[in-house]
Amino acid sequence: MTGVRLRLSLLLLSALAIPLATGCGTKRAYSWGDYDSTLYSYYQNPQETERYVERLGEIIQKAEVEKDKVPPGLYAEYGYALFEAGRLDEAIVYYKKERDQWQESVVFMDKMIRNTQRLKENRPGPPPGGNLPPPAGETPGAAPAAPSPAGSGPEGGAR
Amino acid sequence: MNRRVLLVPLLAVLLLSLGCAAAPPKKDYTAFRSANPRSILILPVVNNTTNVEASALFLSTLPIPVAERGYYVFPVNMVKRVLEDEGLADPNLVHGADPARLCNLFGSDAVLFVTIEAWTARYMVLDTTVTVEFDYVMKDGKTGDTIWKEHRQVVNSSAGQSRGSGNPFVDLVAMAATAAIAKAAPNYMPLARQSNDQVLNTPGIGLPAGPYHSLYGKDP
Repeated sequence: MTGVRLRLSLLLLSALAIPLATGCGTKRAYSWGDYDSTLYSYYQNPQETERYVERLGEIIQKAEVEKDKVPPGLYAEYGYALFEAGRLDEAIVYYKKERDQWQESVVFMDKMIRNTQRLKENRPGPPPGGNLPPPAGETPGAAPAAPSPAGSGPEGGAR
Repeated sequence: MNRRVLLVPLLAVLLLSLGCAAAPPKKDYTAFRSANPRSILILPVVNNTTNVEASALFLSTLPIPVAERGYYVFPVNMVKRVLEDEGLADPNLVHGADPARLCNLFGSDAVLFVTIEAWTARYMVLDTTVTVEFDYVMKDGKTGDTIWKEHRQVVNSSAGQSRGSGNPFVDLVAMAATAAIAKAAPNYMPLARQSNDQVLNTPGIGLPAGPYHSLYGKDP
């Protein structure tokens, strides 16, 4: 008699325990796709750079289409893969996306954007803006000299 | 008497409600809380084993579980390549560098140093034992102090996976086959993931929830 009651309360308690135990199941906050296995297979076959770039692009596209939050670091990872493939303009686009979504990445992304832009300008071939300006205006000493006559500003000159 | 019997499941329920696992001795999180990092720089992994592949392969398992704890995680492959460009291609060199300098380079709040201590498969005719062992150390990017660390070994035996058929001879053959397959292609990755999961997510010893986690500032 007491045995039955005991078994019943045991049952109740275990029924309580099950949802508590399963409540720890992990649901991911971000849409990672197969980022880890993409990295894994890239490290196993480092020559397959095209495949790597393509797969990272797919993960990002899928996350954006499904309005999921693109995981931290992924825009930048993709940007760098594009950079290594020589697609510098696209690389900058994705570095900027990373920077705009994650404030923590600003320092690193700004650095990478600057470096990539510098590389673009120094790249052999026709410069994007036509002919380069004469180097005279670029001398570092000339720049701070320009704003120094602050006293005789434009207002003073107008009178 | 009856009450004492009841006490066991009651305790179990209590323990479960406290967390996923029976709580091990709790860590002191004072240093971690005062550093209060938002971003974590995961460095290339130092490999103290003879398996040359292990370092890069294990690196691929790290960003997801760390980011899912609620932190901004820097892109691991990009970081690896940028460090290589800086002349730090050898993870041992990277780990020997000043944490503050490393964090400064990327603008990170904290840095995670991971070392592989074991990545092995041992074959003994009827059984292949796969062992992985890792050391995790997180340092503050401002002070360079250690703010969190954990060590984990995960072992898997192929013999433990086969189920008996009732016929001892068949069982032996099956065990030998399973062991041979496990030896030919030891699957380290699930064990590596298991280690990361236990180390990062176990309440009381794991990584406290970060600013992008719903439990930020609330976990015990």
